[in-house]
Amino acid sequence: MQASRARLFKEYKEVQREKVADPDIQLVCDDSNIFKWTALIKGPSETPYEGGVFQLAFSVPEQYPLQPPQVRFLTKIFHPNVHFKTGEICLDILKNAWSPAWTLQSVCRAIIALMAHPEPDSPLNCDSGNLLRSGDVRGFQSMAKMYTRLAAMPKKG
Amino acid sequence: MDQKEESSSIFDPCPICLSPINQESYLDQCFHKFCYSCILQWIKVVASKHSPREPFIKCPLCKTKSSSIIYGYDGSSFQQHLIYENSENSIFFTKAHKYRLQCYYIELGNSIGNINISRYWKSNKYLQPNQWLYNWVRREIQALIQEKDVDIIVHHIIGVIDSWRRNEPKGSKISAELKQEGFKRMVVDAAKPFLRGRVDRFVNEVEMFLASGLNIEAYDKVYVKHLGWKIPEIVGDDIDDDDDEEHVDCNPVIPLLSFSDDDELDETS
Repeated sequence: MQASRARLFKEYKEVQREKVADPDIQLVCDDSNIFKWTALIKGPSETPYEGGVFQLAFSVPEQYPLQPPQVRFLTKIFHPNVHFKTGEICLDILKNAWSPAWTLQSVCRAIIALMAHPEPDSPLNCDSGNLLRSGDVRGFQSMAKMYTRLAAMPKKG
Repeated sequence: MDQKEESSSIFDPCPICLSPINQESYLDQCFHKFCYSCILQWIKVVASKHSPREPFIKCPLCKTKSSSIIYGYDGSSFQQHLIYENSENSIFFTKAHKYRLQCYYIELGNSIGNINISRYWKSNKYLQPNQWLYNWVRREIQALIQEKDVDIIVHHIIGVIDSWRRNEPKGSKISAELKQEGFKRMVVDAAKPFLRGRVDRFVNEVEMFLASGLNIEAYDKVYVKHLGWKIPEIVGDDIDDDDDEEHVDCNPVIPLLSFSDDDELDETS
């Protein structure tokens, strides 16, 4: 418990210092609870998520960093490895391949990489996975782009 | 000085707690650095997830597999924590290694079976090289220090024994006892840096193996029989695999005691 708190505090300080360094990630700790964080990540360029800003919710266990944080998308996203309703993410480093050397910041980077490189063979969103698996890249991209515009872009006017 | 050390560890914190490293320890393959307690905790977590346990740990930073943690380095010596001690699943540590290690926890008389050590010296049998000695010593060292790659140590010890034999005057001017003593002293000197407290017993074991004139397999059988142990893998042949379970009970257990010199006990007199 103390160990996870101390480590999260280090990460907090690091985030404050690095803010400028990674313009694609904005990590914010809950005012009253160091085990709850949110992140805003920018959709990677040259993907259907480009131009969108996606919100992630982190729930950090007391055994952190020996156990991975739970992360989910709060912003709706059309992606084979993200559950369309719950925002749950299927990513190995958040499960079996977790290593205590990961940080909340580097987990955000891994999620950005997952957005750019979906794994249609282990889908949480079957519709999205099937489009890619059947080779309908255009169909997938237009759906993903539409949801990016609907859910991840600031409304104009 | 202190300040300098501290600032360097702030820039190079433990990847697990992100704090300055406490009790520096390294994985033995990639030499990535962690707090001793942090990496131990991680090993426990990994072990709880894998059944059977794996004899290695993947580095949290680079995924390289290491089989031990090196810690407590003070400039001249260090300690080693094995990921999976006495592992039956470990790659090199076989049942035979385990049995040899267990032998070192048992008090042995002067000799076993009908191996006659004094005759070995009196009859000058020691002048003949022993073709099985290298492999026997290798297994012995592997068992004792629980390391796979011990060839340098074995080479050193065998080299010392060989050169001693070559340089030993052929004449019988020197008594067998003196030769025996000289031989033992020399092997002790050669092996002590690696075996430390176990070196004297090791030398006795070497002498006994040489005196037996047996190959490793035959020697193991005599040894195991003498101790009254039943280890199917070693006694082999006449025991069916099906009987394994029955014999498990007879397997020796390593008692939780370490060596003490007999001399220390004689204080009362």
